[in-house]
Amino acid sequence: MKTKIYKTFLLFLFPLLSFGQNSSLSGYVTDTKNGEGMIGLSIYVEELKIGTQTNAYGFYSLTIPDGDYTLLLTYIGYNDLEKNISLRGNQTVDIEVDESASALEEVVVKAERKDENVKSIEMSVNKVAMKTIKKMPAFLGEVDVIRSIQFLPGVSSVGEGASGFNVRGGGIDQNLVLLDEAPVYNSSHLFGFFSVFNPDAVKDVKLIKGGIPANYGGRISSILDVRMKEGNSKKKAFTGGLGSIFSRFAYESPFLKENGSFIVALRRSYIDVLAKPFLKGDLKDSKFYFYDFTAKGNYKINDKNTVFLSGYFGRDVFGADFGFNWGNTTTSLRWNHLFNEKLFLNTTVFYSNYDYLLASDLSNSNDQDSFRWQSNIENYSVKPDFQYFINPKNTISFGGQSIYYRFNPGQAEAVSGGQTVSIGLSDKYAVESGLYLSNEQKINDKLSIQYGIRYSDYRYLGEGNEVILNEDGVAASDRKNVTTVNKIASGKVIQQYGNWEPRFSANLGLSSNSSIKLSYNRLAQYVHLLSNTAASSPLDVWTPSSNNIKPQLADQVAIGYFTNFSDNTYEASVEVYYKKLQHQIDYVRNADLLLNPAVEADLLSGDGRAYGAEFYLKKNKGKLNGWLSYTLARTERLVEGLSNNEWFPSRIDKLHNISLVGIYDTGKKWTFSTTFSFASGTPATFPSNKFIWQGIALPHNYTDTRNSYRIPASHRLDLAATLKNKHAFFKRGDSEWVFSVYNVYNRRNPFSVYVRQNEQDFAQTEAVSYSVFASILPAVTYNFNF
Amino acid sequence: MKNIIVALTLISFLSSCEDVIDLEVQDGVEQLVVDGWLTNKAEDQVVRLSLSQAYFDNSDVPTVNDAEVIVYELDQTPHPFMNIGNGKYRLSKEDAHFLTDGGQYSLYISYKGEEYGSLSVLNRVPSIDSIAYEYFEFPISQGDSTLPDDGYLAEFYARDPKGARDTYWIRTTKNGKLINDPTSISTAFDAGFSPGALSDGLLFILPIRQSINDGLYLHGDSLHVELWSITNDAFYYLSQVRQESANGGIFATPPANIPTNIFNLNKISNKKALGYFGISAVSQFETVIDSTKARESE
Repeated sequence: MKTKIYKTFLLFLFPLLSFGQNSSLSGYVTDTKNGEGMIGLSIYVEELKIGTQTNAYGFYSLTIPDGDYTLLLTYIGYNDLEKNISLRGNQTVDIEVDESASALEEVVVKAERKDENVKSIEMSVNKVAMKTIKKMPAFLGEVDVIRSIQFLPGVSSVGEGASGFNVRGGGIDQNLVLLDEAPVYNSSHLFGFFSVFNPDAVKDVKLIKGGIPANYGGRISSILDVRMKEGNSKKKAFTGGLGSIFSRFAYESPFLKENGSFIVALRRSYIDVLAKPFLKGDLKDSKFYFYDFTAKGNYKINDKNTVFLSGYFGRDVFGADFGFNWGNTTTSLRWNHLFNEKLFLNTTVFYSNYDYLLASDLSNSNDQDSFRWQSNIENYSVKPDFQYFINPKNTISFGGQSIYYRFNPGQAEAVSGGQTVSIGLSDKYAVESGLYLSNEQKINDKLSIQYGIRYSDYRYLGEGNEVILNEDGVAASDRKNVTTVNKIASGKVIQQYGNWEPRFSANLGLSSNSSIKLSYNRLAQYVHLLSNTAASSPLDVWTPSSNNIKPQLADQVAIGYFTNFSDNTYEASVEVYYKKLQHQIDYVRNADLLLNPAVEADLLSGDGRAYGAEFYLKKNKGKLNGWLSYTLARTERLVEGLSNNEWFPSRIDKLHNISLVGIYDTGKKWTFSTTFSFASGTPATFPSNKFIWQGIALPHNYTDTRNSYRIPASHRLDLAATLKNKHAFFKRGDSEWVFSVYNVYNRRNPFSVYVRQNEQDFAQTEAVSYSVFASILPAVTYNFNF
Repeated sequence: MKNIIVALTLISFLSSCEDVIDLEVQDGVEQLVVDGWLTNKAEDQVVRLSLSQAYFDNSDVPTVNDAEVIVYELDQTPHPFMNIGNGKYRLSKEDAHFLTDGGQYSLYISYKGEEYGSLSVLNRVPSIDSIAYEYFEFPISQGDSTLPDDGYLAEFYARDPKGARDTYWIRTTKNGKLINDPTSISTAFDAGFSPGALSDGLLFILPIRQSINDGLYLHGDSLHVELWSITNDAFYYLSQVRQESANGGIFATPPANIPTNIFNLNKISNKKALGYFGISAVSQFETVIDSTKARESE
């Protein structure tokens, strides 16, 4: 079987060898204003009617016969650029492009302009310009990447205020959230109200929901690839803002004669500072704040080598005596190396950590009675990625990745009456590796395909415990018995898994402005977030696959129709997808997921399926920009022991999801924006009966079905207006006021509906609708840069 | 206690809210409900039988008065319970001296041609050494005129005996009224909250010692604390009663049926009962709050 795959693969690669003597044109494309590399900019050779795109570092390479050419560079939000090239032998041409005056608007309109939406092989991909995200109405005035992407088709959240996001029916832990190629394990501040990305430091956001290329792996639902700014390489710049929650400040500057640049950005919430005068007694010492620090530098050693160092450190701190804090740390070092005009290498080495600490005596240590608890997930990785621009018809990507994980599921110390007990779950170790090879091939004018394969290998390693479970005599829905715990020595493999992950995409052009795209991918996921709550909490613990926990697998097929019309003013697409999920994690009732040495006994495993259709219409030009999206989707689970062993809707299932984003730029001082969203209610489980026990009414669901009811639908309108000022301070720079209103018509959107006993009489019952935001939330933000 | 206040401060700045609403749900089938908990306290022992009703049916509970209720000792000595009306079956305190430490007992119920059974054990319980209290003032107003902003925060002292997997239920009576809020049922696994806590042989941990507060106590309030030994199964049952009673909000878990330890003796019968039968050894301590005896605040 395996050799057959290889043979088929080699067959595909043959056409690559048939090209003759050509020269390579390569280089970097950057922004004139700040020197930032342009990601995914399209370069088109008019005479040859072929083109390419810049990669994630702004690099492009075209191998074409010698001759005189006109290059056309296009990128949404930037002026089109025509450049005449006389190619005689290999040549390096670095190009700068200008941002257009108005958001999203193309100033120069070209009839023959190529359209990436229709022409590119990518499907199920959404890119949102930071410029757009910054103009959208923001919750409490705080620009937020993760909240903004929830307006895209196929993206939803379990409810307002929940952390993370769900893509095409997947859980929040099934998204690979990358910050400069390092994974971020918890993307939220304040439980789920804000995301960890500082908008002043983010350059590009790309969400891949399907047709996931072979260079990505490790999560089964989506990839959210967030790239940080490299820092202005032309001049020093300060940006910042004062919002209702955060104050922000960023500084960027070139160094070493513009061969390098860096950016540092800091955000901190300051509600605690404002609240301090109103607190007395013990609360004087209360802490409730969150902050993040983002820094990145790059240095161009020479034409062939550039290095980037990025770091993120964020933390949420709550508590007075009793304290709780959590946060992510990521560091990535990247090295771009050009072997020659055609072969590009990026090597990333990263470190990522998510940890939390709970302590009952944070401010004054108490040696009589206290409790301290900490947990983390830590990993190190090396990841070389090669891109070989063989000729305009073929671009090969290959590379690999190895990640070393250390999980600390929980270390706690309890002191009671002066006596200390240590509650330690031993650390768990794992190594996840992957190798991939992929080719993007233009078969002819109409058809281009991308095909690749990834092999992932996972090893759950000692030193650790191999927990052997016994299911005999235990109902499928109940906690399994632990029969043996085998101590496994350091470095020994407790369990190994391997998966072939084929990836395929095709684009068939129907006309100059429409195409059909098709994709299939298989993905494997070896680490899992154990979370049995509606919204994930910061205490949730990541756990590795083991002899009991199998890797999650997803197979997805998607097909879509893409078209642009009215001179590329509008782009529209329809996509349908079907996903088959295996080894999805669920939980026994009353599952004990924290500080439980035999947590594997509390887990259930099942299958999932998700399918849907996504409709998307986007307007790119003119004073009014924005998009409308409609998603029709289902996501279901089948778990032995739950809901009578029948398919039931997943907790995040929402049948209809409508989003509207509108941005109106008057071209003068004011910009107005609005967003509207509507989503069907999530499923809920209600009891059929009550029974009285010890004077308390207790719920009982006679049919024992799960999620057979729906809570009411949610909808919300937000507005924002931005007023541009001429200057920021002392006639320098510029600034703006952003006025925003969240939940304009004061709707109490239910997060959940549940039943409970009446507080006055515990034998009486009632139903409750719970809303996280139950009022209009206005906010004012002041932003500046100079 | 203090941590809760901080949490409240946080939540109040976000504007979450709960509205009581009408909800239509499908009714299920009526089932026998058993509510029986025997203790070694010197008092009449009572088992209550009733029927389940539609979830939102807040009319009187249909009681069952035509069943046969017997508790058996391991050697098959029967202790029949007498129906006294209103769904109650009583064994008078004179006849209820048979519970011994470590003893195993079974409950037998015959109702409408079906026979039900349940098993339980009387586990050991440590004594409560003392109750202490200290003056406490909320840093911010409770915003509820019925709750005092200052008063006394009490804690009881008891030590879990050596030997893992003892489980307890802490029950507090304030001014003669049992604090029966299902969302704050206080249970302990050894001296801590859960088996993972490895708290065998310790003084009960602080949050458990302080779980006897329902608001603050005032000078002159009486306070009666009972420590009930329960089986591990009963611990999980009570945990789930608590879980399903406070299962709203953003960190709610999927609702699940509360398990029962009442089983139909005929395994293939589709008549299943609900509820729980437990046995406990009880230790108790009571005091009256006296402001002059309050401990110095730390």
